[in-house]
Amino acid sequence: MLARIAHELYWLGRNLARAEFTARAVEAVFQAELQGTSDSEPGVSFGSGGLLAMFGDVDESAQSGQALGQLTLDAGRPGSMLASVERAREGARTVRDVISAEMWEAINTTALGLRGGGQPGWAAPAGTYLASQYVKERTALIWGVANRSMLRDEAKCFLDAGGLIEISDMVLRMLRVALPQGDPSADGHALILLQAVGGFHAYLRAVTAPPNAKPVARFLLFERAYPDSVAACVDSLHEVFMSADAGPRNSKPVLRVSRLAADLDFQRRALPEEAELSGICKQTQQELASIDQDVAERYFAGAAAAGLRR
Amino acid sequence: VPFYDELFEPDGTPRPTTRELVADLRALGPEGLMEAGRRRDAIFMQRGITFETGRGNGASLERPFPLDLVPRVLSGEEWRDIKRGLAQRIRALNHFVDDVYHAREIVREGLVPWRLVAACPHFARAVHGIRPPGGVYTHVAGCDLVRDGDGTWKVIEDNVRIPSGISYVLENRAAMARLVPELFSSYRVRPVDHYPQLLLRALRSVAPSAESEATVVVWTPGPANPAYFEHAFLARQMGVELVEASDLVVRDDVLYMRTTRGLERAHAVYRRLDDDFVDPLEFRADSLLGVPGLVRAYRAGSVAIANAFGTGVADDKGIYCFVPDMIRFYLGEVPILENVRTYLLSDPEVREHVLGRLDQLVVKPTGESGGRGVMIGPHADAREIERMREVVNADPDRWIAQDVVQLSTVPTVGAEGQLQPRHVDLRPFAVFGERIDIVPGGLTRVALDEGSLIVNSSRGGGSKDTWVLEDGDTADRAGPPIADTQPPALPDLRYGAWTGQQQQQQQRRARTGPRGS
Repeated sequence: MLARIAHELYWLGRNLARAEFTARAVEAVFQAELQGTSDSEPGVSFGSGGLLAMFGDVDESAQSGQALGQLTLDAGRPGSMLASVERAREGARTVRDVISAEMWEAINTTALGLRGGGQPGWAAPAGTYLASQYVKERTALIWGVANRSMLRDEAKCFLDAGGLIEISDMVLRMLRVALPQGDPSADGHALILLQAVGGFHAYLRAVTAPPNAKPVARFLLFERAYPDSVAACVDSLHEVFMSADAGPRNSKPVLRVSRLAADLDFQRRALPEEAELSGICKQTQQELASIDQDVAERYFAGAAAAGLRR
Repeated sequence: VPFYDELFEPDGTPRPTTRELVADLRALGPEGLMEAGRRRDAIFMQRGITFETGRGNGASLERPFPLDLVPRVLSGEEWRDIKRGLAQRIRALNHFVDDVYHAREIVREGLVPWRLVAACPHFARAVHGIRPPGGVYTHVAGCDLVRDGDGTWKVIEDNVRIPSGISYVLENRAAMARLVPELFSSYRVRPVDHYPQLLLRALRSVAPSAESEATVVVWTPGPANPAYFEHAFLARQMGVELVEASDLVVRDDVLYMRTTRGLERAHAVYRRLDDDFVDPLEFRADSLLGVPGLVRAYRAGSVAIANAFGTGVADDKGIYCFVPDMIRFYLGEVPILENVRTYLLSDPEVREHVLGRLDQLVVKPTGESGGRGVMIGPHADAREIERMREVVNADPDRWIAQDVVQLSTVPTVGAEGQLQPRHVDLRPFAVFGERIDIVPGGLTRVALDEGSLIVNSSRGGGSKDTWVLEDGDTADRAGPPIADTQPPALPDLRYGAWTGQQQQQQQRRARTGPRGS
């Protein structure tokens, strides 16, 4: 397929995944920030400040409500849901011939629904919640349509690859911003991190340990049975590239991904329960950035590399 | 009789802790509240937080759970007293259960008549002499609190069998944050969503499991139970199995559950059905909801049951009057929370006195819960009072009388969005494992009809979100600290750097002028 098309699909996947992640995180933080701290144990906190920092957009002056507003419908903020969805729409528009009409419509409707302040009633203080709810529902619909209607060919592979790499990147970003470092007293319950990725229920079913920072971080990094964990994303990424690549045996991104997958598996077994995880988060994220670059060089004719390096 | 209103002083000005709330409510106005109410009903129907109001024509009618949008506010100081008082009371009740099924010292001391204990419908001979791990019987307790005309907190009822309502506490908070976030803006409210983790930790701590992580289950009578929503909610929030009787089996005094991989042991059971039904071999023989042999397993110490069997003896309304004595006897402490004045009708003199002023008192059956069979004297007509007189005379042990408490009021949203004072009570939830944890606030139930004192949701009551405030400056809302490392900048925020696309952009910019000008 055309390198340009592959590139657009890859970024379409990334932008959709980012919009969805932002929506989930905003919803969780919105709910948590209205309330104070627990009187029995403080726990890990992840607020709007952290959320903005994740997007590299620290704004000291912003109040919590405003900060979340910036991440929802503020078109001027590159990290906002609206901006991500708009980018996704732009991308989808240039590949309209590759994706199904149904999928294009789903993406287009989402962008139209978010523009100009969104739906009636979203101007109210509860609007942040309503907007994130909307984005969550719509992205689920878009991915659902894609999974049902797209041919399992290279195009689908690049769309998925973008989504997978973005999810793992976002999870790692969040862990790096929110994980308490070297301060064992701050290792309280980390419900907020699970809520921010929508993995609360999955965690409870999969892990018996109480949802404290360490086991939650391990779960989000290593649990293969949870589709949004870093390890699961990297595994799927490997599969996707294996089927998309013409010569996987000597393809740089494929090799890198399979090494990362093996690495994560090794760390999961080798690391003691109480090990510090922020180092691994950092390493893994750097590795993902390299993969991203390798992908650009191998599949997109090196065209995107300049933009990535900035 | 004056009522104590929790939002307003008698002269109609807001109380110090509620000034900002009142201002925010006024800013919202009747239309704002009505609008939020419509969204609330939609959300509750969507999330399936409903209760059935009878089955008419074969179809059940579901109604959204009635949450009132005006929260109830308790200061941190006020809450600390309640918390201390409740912990004390629950500790004493737990001692009492232990004592009743062992040495019976309180009876020998002459403080509680044995006749009264043995006559309790929930007194369980089957568990005599069994001491569960840690000596904890009342793992989950919910005492009902009310406020008197002068604002004093009093305990009106203890629930140490299977108190329900905690799911509504959590769901109410989640709904309030989504519906009227503006009300939270001036307050720092203690969160409540850690309750399932507290409960799970307590259940694990009492479970007899040496080798591995204890397996905890929630036992429900089934989907037809009115509280099924709560059972499923707790199981989901704790990440444990929700079991029914047919999933459980006892082999050689050990409790197992039937799984796809054969029998697996269950170490702790949070059971949500009455003693009567749990084991046809020991309790009601006709129970189809029970697990034969469960009490034997419990006696053998191979399984922890929460709450323990036989705890109903401690929340019997006849025993209720002795709780302050229990606190002095077992703990050697002065009760922090008072009882409502109560009359035991088994005493002929007291009975005489009570029967003379039935129209001024509340009469309750001792072994019931959920407001069944209660007569409120001042609201009853002559015929009802006459009938009650006959019933009490026929079997005085089964009844108690209490002074009417003028429950405090909190403004509540009416049909047109206007605020009207309505009577409320409070059910805080305590979890007793290695220690006693009490979730800040609890379930505030509100009587939705004007002047009514009946708050039970089965009889037209609603509920309110209950806020316990953090101490200190409410304006101090500094966000949580961010860990030192800053993640790298997001990879390209435009759509990659495809050259062709850049050209397109350039073309567009050339046509429309630079963005932002």
